[in-house]
Order: sequence, then C-alpha cells, then structure tokens
Amino acid sequence: MRGNSTVIAALNKVLTRKLTAINQYFLHARMFKNWGFAELNDHIYKASIKEMKHADEVIERILLLDGLPNLQELSKLYIGEEPHEMLKLDDKLQSEDIRYIRDAISVCEAEKDFVSRQMLADILEQQENHQDWLDTQCSLIDTIGIENYLQRQL
Amino acid sequence: MYVCLCKGVTDKQIRKAVDEGARSIRDLRQQFGVGSQCGKCTCCARDVLHEALHARADVVHVYVPSPQGTLEVDIAY
Repeated sequence: MRGNSTVIAALNKVLTRKLTAINQYFLHARMFKNWGFAELNDHIYKASIKEMKHADEVIERILLLDGLPNLQELSKLYIGEEPHEMLKLDDKLQSEDIRYIRDAISVCEAEKDFVSRQMLADILEQQENHQDWLDTQCSLIDTIGIENYLQRQL
Repeated sequence: MYVCLCKGVTDKQIRKAVDEGARSIRDLRQQFGVGSQCGKCTCCARDVLHEALHARADVVHVYVPSPQGTLEVDIAY
C-alpha cells in the first residue's frame, strides 16, 4: 500500500528515537546489574525490550506503507556515570521521545492516516507510564536520599 | 555523564581539561580524541566546553560582526 511520504518521514523519526532508547536503556540496565542493583536492572532491561517491540511495530508499519525504515540512524546516547544521573538522563530521553511521538501523531492526524495514529497513541501510553516511573524514582531519591533509595534496589 | 562514548570521555574530564588550558574543540580532540570516531558527541562536547569556558574569569566571550552574521568567539588571556 502506497503511504504518505510525510507520514513515513515522521515514523522514521520516531524509529530513530526508539533505536536510540533501546541502546541507552540497555547499557544503563547492565551498568546497574554490574553494580549489583538487580531491581533497577530488571526494570530498565524491560523498558529496553519494550522499546525494541515499539521499534518493530514502527518498522512493520513503514514497510506496509511502502517506505524504507532507516535502521542506520541513531541519535547521541546520554549515558550517566552514577545511578541518580542515569535515571535523570533516561527521564530526559523519555520526555524528548514523548514530544516526537506527539508530533508524529499530529502529522498522521493531518494526513488522515488513522491506523498509524492509533499505533503511535498506544506506544505513547506506554511511554507516559515509563516516564511516570522515572519521575517517581527521581522524586524518591530527593525524598529519602540516594543511599536509602539504592538500598531498596539490591 | 559520558560526553563521548567512543573514547569514554566524561563532562568532568572536559571541565578539568579546560582548567588545565584546553580552549577549543580541537584541543579536546587532540587530548582525548573527542569527536574523532562517530562525531555524534561534537555538539554536546561544544556545549560542555563553552559552559566551562564561560565559568572562567580569564575567558571573555565576544560577539564579532562579520559578513556571515555575528560570530561568537571565546578569547583567553
């Protein structure tokens, strides 16, 4: 099915964000694992796998629209050096992703591609949930202190 | 934070290098290899460099008018 080129470009932008997030979350998860923070590793590893599933959906949708998914493009990774910084940088990445997905949804809406729009809306819901989790972690650290917080993540 | 993942260079290392005399992206490239592999970090490295330079009292940030528009230059003395 021949798709609209503006929609395909917007989907490719979202794909780049997804591919970047897969790598950033994966590295952060395994850094936490290496330091012994099993809980943080579990949660962030799962977030990375979810990003991969989103990327898969976007790739399949672009192919269905007769476009070429660009798996080569990757944005800069923001890798932290210590736990609090890593969570803050993930939060920053997540907020930017949400902005990109919202922009892509408006493009789909304007071009009347309601199926792509629905797919992005489903992805957006999961992104907002993960951002909420990240916000909670950052505010927990502010409230109970980094030492107490990390004690809970072993 | 890791500014350059290819060479494993952090923002702290860049700030320290500025304290020790680094003044440009070229200096950072020579010292650490920042931006010499994939190049994705150049923009972020420039931000960290400028932030560190502005925090110093012996560096003046000047705006120079030119035919291409206004140029921003850091002058160290």
